Amino acid sequence: MAAPSLNASELRFLRALLRRKVRFMVVGLSAAALQGAPVVTQDVDLWFEDLNDPRIGEALREVDAAYVAPSVLNPPMFAGGGVELFDIVLTLHGLGAFSEELRNCVDVSLGRHKLKVLRVDRILASKRAANRAKDRLVIPVLEDSLAASQVAARRRTKKASSPKKRKSSP
Amino acid sequence: MSVKKTISRERKASRWAARLMKSVRAVLAVRPEADPDNVRHTLILLEQSPLERLRRSLTRGRALAQRK
Repeated sequence: MAAPSLNASELRFLRALLRRKVRFMVVGLSAAALQGAPVVTQDVDLWFEDLNDPRIGEALREVDAAYVAPSVLNPPMFAGGGVELFDIVLTLHGLGAFSEELRNCVDVSLGRHKLKVLRVDRILASKRAANRAKDRLVIPVLEDSLAASQVAARRRTKKASSPKKRKSSP
Repeated sequence: MSVKKTISRERKASRWAARLMKSVRAVLAVRPEADPDNVRHTLILLEQSPLERLRRSLTRGRALAQRK
């Protein structure tokens, strides 16, 4: 059985995209998981600025995979090379244009590269707008997780800015 | 294993747990309606690297999918 986590091909594909400076971001629950949300997901949703960018094809070839264009039978997909579980996102309910949302991303290090990951508050906005049964299930978890991350960040900032206690000299 | 080592490990663990629960209470003070488990799990995951967090999420998600 293949290791049920992000596999070597998936990591190679992400690095190949980043090396080629393809404009994309991780969205959905995998983006939330990267930021500490205790959620479970099966796939990694990727939002590309331009699906016709030839560099996507180059990155796919590097891992022996290919792009399957959308038809009446299937959504746009990646196939082969072990990257099938990357889902291509075309629209995100309740969010702005790609370039707008790119400003609402956090950077996650992937070796030498920085992966753009949509912030949890924006993921929440899209889940609220989509409002499917599966979205409604995860909204409270994301809300709690966002609150926890914000409080933790504030505590870290406060700790970093407070003067260190110095031992009094004898 | 020496008794000293065990005590030191237990002390470390209980200090970590106390720190964690203090943070959980701080979050609940701001958001009383939050589920304490969601808060606690988030704070634990924040101690891991982002890729480790994703790995855990996918491990559970894909294991569930394989069981279906």
